[in-house]
Formats: sequence, C-alpha cells, structure tokens
Amino acid sequence: MTRGGKEASRGHEIAFRAGRILASLFVLAIWISASATGMLPGPVEVVAYLLSMEPEEVAPQVLKTLYNSITGFSLSFLASMVLGLLSHRLPLIKGFSEALSEIFNSTSALVWSLVLVATLGVLSPLPPILVVAAVTLPHVLTATVSALSSADPGLLEAVRSVGAKPSDEFFEVILPSSVPLLASASRVGLGTALRISVVAEAFGSSGGVGYMIIRSYNLADASGVLAWSLVLIALVLGLDQLVLKPLERRARRWLE
Amino acid sequence: MAGVMLEVSSVYKSFSEPVLVDVSLHLNGGEVLGIVGPNGCGKTTLLRIMAGLESPDKGSVRREGKVGIVFQEDRLLPWKTLWENVALGLKYHGIRGEELTKRVRDYSSMVGLTDSDLSLHPRKASGGTRRKAALARALVLEPEILLLDEPFTGLDVKARTSLREALNWIWDEYGLSTVIVSHQLEELLPLADRVYVLTPKPARVAEEIDLRGMDLERRLERVKEALLRILSRSGTG
Ligand SMILES: Nc1ncnc2c1ncn2[C@@H]1O[C@H](COP(=O)(O)OP(=O)(O)OP(=O)(O)O)[C@@H](O)[C@H]1O
Ligand SMILES: [Mg+2]
Repeated sequence: MTRGGKEASRGHEIAFRAGRILASLFVLAIWISASATGMLPGPVEVVAYLLSMEPEEVAPQVLKTLYNSITGFSLSFLASMVLGLLSHRLPLIKGFSEALSEIFNSTSALVWSLVLVATLGVLSPLPPILVVAAVTLPHVLTATVSALSSADPGLLEAVRSVGAKPSDEFFEVILPSSVPLLASASRVGLGTALRISVVAEAFGSSGGVGYMIIRSYNLADASGVLAWSLVLIALVLGLDQLVLKPLERRARRWLE
Repeated sequence: MAGVMLEVSSVYKSFSEPVLVDVSLHLNGGEVLGIVGPNGCGKTTLLRIMAGLESPDKGSVRREGKVGIVFQEDRLLPWKTLWENVALGLKYHGIRGEELTKRVRDYSSMVGLTDSDLSLHPRKASGGTRRKAALARALVLEPEILLLDEPFTGLDVKARTSLREALNWIWDEYGLSTVIVSHQLEELLPLADRVYVLTPKPARVAEEIDLRGMDLERRLERVKEALLRILSRSGTG
C-alpha cells in the first residue's frame, strides 16, 4: 500500500470509530429527551438504581437467562446438524427441513411463548428454552444446510483420490469446511437467543432477566424496567464483543 | 516394467459442451509421458478420467496398477499440517502407528521435505513445499502410475529445479510410470519420453511425438511446430 493509501485508510478508520461513538450518543440523546417528558426515568436515575442492586440479586437472573438461551440454542443447533446432515443425502429430509424452516420462520416468539406457557404451565422452566430453540431454528437450520454444502469440491476430490470413504469425506472435509459459516451462524443465533429468551421468561414465573423486567413493570417500577433492560443490553453486547466476535474471527482464518 | 500401464480408448466426455472427443492414448511401463495442449482444452478432465475420478461418457480406461494424482492446485487440507496431509491416504487405508510414521517419513524425505516443513500448515508453507507435500501425499500409497497436473506452474526457478530433482530421484528409484500435463515446455520436454499434443477444446489427439534420442533443442522445435500447426488449423477451421 502507498503512503497516501495508508493515510486515507487511517482517516477512514478514525471516521468509522467516530460513527460508532456517535451511535451511542444518539441513543443516549433519545433516552434523555424521552425522560424530559417526565414519563420515563433518565439515565442518572437508572444508573443509580443499577448501582443499588445487589450482585447476589442480579447474578442468578443473568445466569438463568444465559442458561435458557444457550440450552435453547444448543437444541436448535443439534437438530440443525442432524437435519442438515440427513438433507445432504435424503430429499425427503431436505423438503421436510425446508418447510419446517418456513413454518417456524413465520411464527412469532409471542405465539410460541403463549402456547408453550399455556401447555406447560407458568412454573415450568422449559418454555423459554423451547421458545429459543423454535425461534432460532429456521436461521440456524438454513445456515447449517448451506454450511454443510460449502466444502470445496476440489478438496473432496483430493481426499477421494487417496481413498477417503463417505464418512471420511464428512468428518475430514465437509465438517471442517463448515466451521466458519457455523461460527457466524452461532454468533447471530446466540444473540437472537438472548433477546428471545427474555420474551419467553416474561410469560412464566421461573425467573430470568425477562421475568425481572416484567415484574418491575407490574410493580410500576419504571427504573427497574430500564435497569434490567440495561443488564440485558450489557449481556448481549458483552457476549457478542468479548466472546462470539473473537471466536468468529478465529474460525474465519481456519480455511486460509 | 514392460507393457502398457494405462490405456485410454476412444474416450468422449461432455459437460455442457464436448470437452474430449475420441481420445485414445496409452502409457507404457516406466515411461514419462507428456500431455500438452492449449489452455482450457480439457487436459485436467483427461487426467481426472485417467485417475478414475470422473467417468467418460463413451470409451474406456484400463489401468494396470494403482494411480496417484497430484492436482494443479495442490488441494491440501488447510486445517491440517503438511504431515497430516501426507498421511491422509494411509489413514483411510487403515495404516496406522509405526508403519504410517515410517511411510510418511520415507516419502517426505524422498521428495525433499524436512521435518520442519512437515510441521507447517499449508498457508505457512511456500508454493514449492506445498507441491512436494501434494506429491508425497500421492506417493505414500505406493502407486504404480503417477499423474501430475501442471506440476511446475506457480513455482519459482529454485522450487522447479528442486521438484525436478525429486522426480528424477523417484524415477531412478522406482521407475514409476508417469503422465505429466504441462504447458511449460522448457520444464516438461527434458523429462518426457513421449508427448501427445491435444487440439483446442474439444480436445482430440493431434499428434504423438516420440522424443527419445532428440536433444532438448530438437524436442522444443518439434513440439512447438506441432502446437503452431493445430492452432493455425483451428484458426482457419
Ligand atoms: N466438472 C466440470 N463441470 C463443467 N465443466 C467442466 C468441468 N470440468 C471442466 N469443465 C470444462 O471443460 C473444459 C476443459 O477444462 P479442463 O480443466 O479439463 O481444461 P485444461 O486443459 O486442464 O485447462 P487449463 O489449461 O486451464 O488447466 C473447460 O471449458 C471447463 O470449463
Ligand atoms: Mg488444467
């Protein structure tokens, strides 16, 4: 790269970062002007509320939500791997998976939550997990099917030329080739899972950040609603930036 | 060593349009056979059919021994080290433990790969090192027939020389019957005993030239003449 190019790309980088900071300020500005109406507590009030919460009070709810989302996501991931693998061979399963994705994709998290809570009861710990699984399934399934067909045909032919059996092809080429796409899908999927989990938690009474949000709402505790919402935002952003994004980046280098 | 090791008879192959038309050729035992032809004429397809990786639409291929193939693009698994790549075929054939280690060692050192080369992942290795690993991956299975697709393309002079030395060593030691597809005539012709010159797509055999007894200058002259002839013919027809 020329020096001019380097400077241009540095300018680009600074502008990009400035844009990111502006976005946070923009959201903050909306919040402050909304609180000026007097209907909503402002940032200072909510942060003070947050600081007054005991860690022993917050941690179990955060863990519950993490548990719900990770378990639900794992279920949809496993189901997707099985369906994706079978779709590879069997047109019946391929059609089945495709239609299942379409049906699930057009069903709202609200509907799943109501139906599952009505069926399993408000005290059941299962609805949030199952709602997460159902809502993330279409995306994860579609991604898995395309990930599993993303292997380079040249590599498949090369291992076949030295005697690979179909199972060798799967475990040694198809699966490793799908790692980057599966990692991207997992990043998106787990982010979605956290946000969906709280919706489902709100309909039951088995705890979690979503349960705390709705409980604060029912107690007309607006600061509580916003404080728990901030906890959720921190959770989603923290997981994404500190764990999922670095993992995805590593996975992308895998195929180079 | 005598006798025909591989015979292609009246092979026809078409993808969306014909690629190979009525191709017949043979590879004698212990021979180095060159295949030359214009870009995109169907050389790789012919080699894949010879290896049994693709089946011809018409015609047949007869092989008198195991085939090893080295692809134009190396095709090493990027998430495995060169050592693991070389060992792939042995693993698939149920060869493990000491026997596996010994074979990987032997054939790797035969092509000039060091232990430190073998510990690299493909992206960290040079083009020449990768090509040698692809060659060793084919050789560990001890084939009687070796197919090389553009083995010298993309390598610098040093790597080409080193690869040529490795091949010469293998031929001296094993007399492996070999087919080399290459458009780098300066590299190919000193090595080859015979060449087939193919026409532009769809490929037919235009000429068969026996190079034995010719010096390099004469070899180059003969093959270049043949290529010019088919190109001018296809230009007018
Ligand atoms: N699997 C395939 N499916 C469809 N078309 C193919 C396939 N393999 C090769 N072809 C076509 O057949 C023709 C010959 O390809 P091939 O790779 O055999 O030629 P080549 O002589 O090896 O070319 P190059 O000089 O670039 O190495 C090309 O037009 C190519 O697009
Ligand atoms: Mg080719």
